[in-house]
Amino acid sequence: MAVRRIEVRERVMAKNDELAADIRRRLGTHGVTSLNLVSSPGSGKTTLLERTLQELGPELRMAVVTGDVQTENDADRLARWTERLVHAVVTGGACHLDARQVGTALHELELADLDLVFVENVGNLVCPASWDLGETAKVVVFSVTEGEDKPLKYPKMFRVARYAVINKTDLLPYVPFDVDKAVAFAREVNPGLEFFFTSALTGEGMERWYDFLRSLARAPARA
Amino acid sequence: MSLALEICRITEEQVGRETLPRVREVGLLVGEDSGVEPENLEFCLQALLDHPPFEGARVAMSLDPGDDLRVTYLEVDDGGSTH
Repeated sequence: MAVRRIEVRERVMAKNDELAADIRRRLGTHGVTSLNLVSSPGSGKTTLLERTLQELGPELRMAVVTGDVQTENDADRLARWTERLVHAVVTGGACHLDARQVGTALHELELADLDLVFVENVGNLVCPASWDLGETAKVVVFSVTEGEDKPLKYPKMFRVARYAVINKTDLLPYVPFDVDKAVAFAREVNPGLEFFFTSALTGEGMERWYDFLRSLARAPARA
Repeated sequence: MSLALEICRITEEQVGRETLPRVREVGLLVGEDSGVEPENLEFCLQALLDHPPFEGARVAMSLDPGDDLRVTYLEVDDGGSTH
């Protein structure tokens, strides 16, 4: 019996990263900024996007690629506010989007007519951290109804994200969430993380988020 | 599971589809910061390798401190005797 050993040394993510680089080139050509929104389920990603599309829609040309796993619920909610909405083809049970799905979804959009693309990833703080979707930056959303130690429990996600949105701040009087502690924990794993504090429900703190998005739309390379 | 499928795709790319039944071992390097739970990946990958076109290849994992995740080698049984 002759057993032959083949040396491979290939990174498992190599193909995905190649496709992500291609997406980055396509977006860059048209000066489009892409934000990959990651979070655990129920942090308020869809509500944040709904309000953003509603209130900033008249100013900025925004599109959403959504990765809802089992239902069309998120897409239906967002479709009220934008015509530029694409469903990534997600197979049941998948825990993240990959660059192939996003690349295909982007073909549905006229990139030359866009300022911003939001990629609403599958709700999960583990798998999406490993997958480059050709985004300008990852934005991790977490809410005050979660533990403030989330950044310590999911360090990789907070390390790869450049921005963090702490959402549902309207609930702060009713929950034991310590904002300073949450920020300190997050900065422990990623000192450069920039924060936004929002209630996508009441609109509190959204203006600073909008200013940030406006600045990205004006100077895409800055993100 | 998507990582396990990607590992199968890399294996096929390396050896060709017709050789997959003769793959005996898939060597992986898994970084502690790669975001992968080694036992979980092994479970998913082994489930794929136990079914056609594979015929029961083994998973051999080595752990590493970094964030790397690689297929390091493949062992293929070419049959016959070694002389």
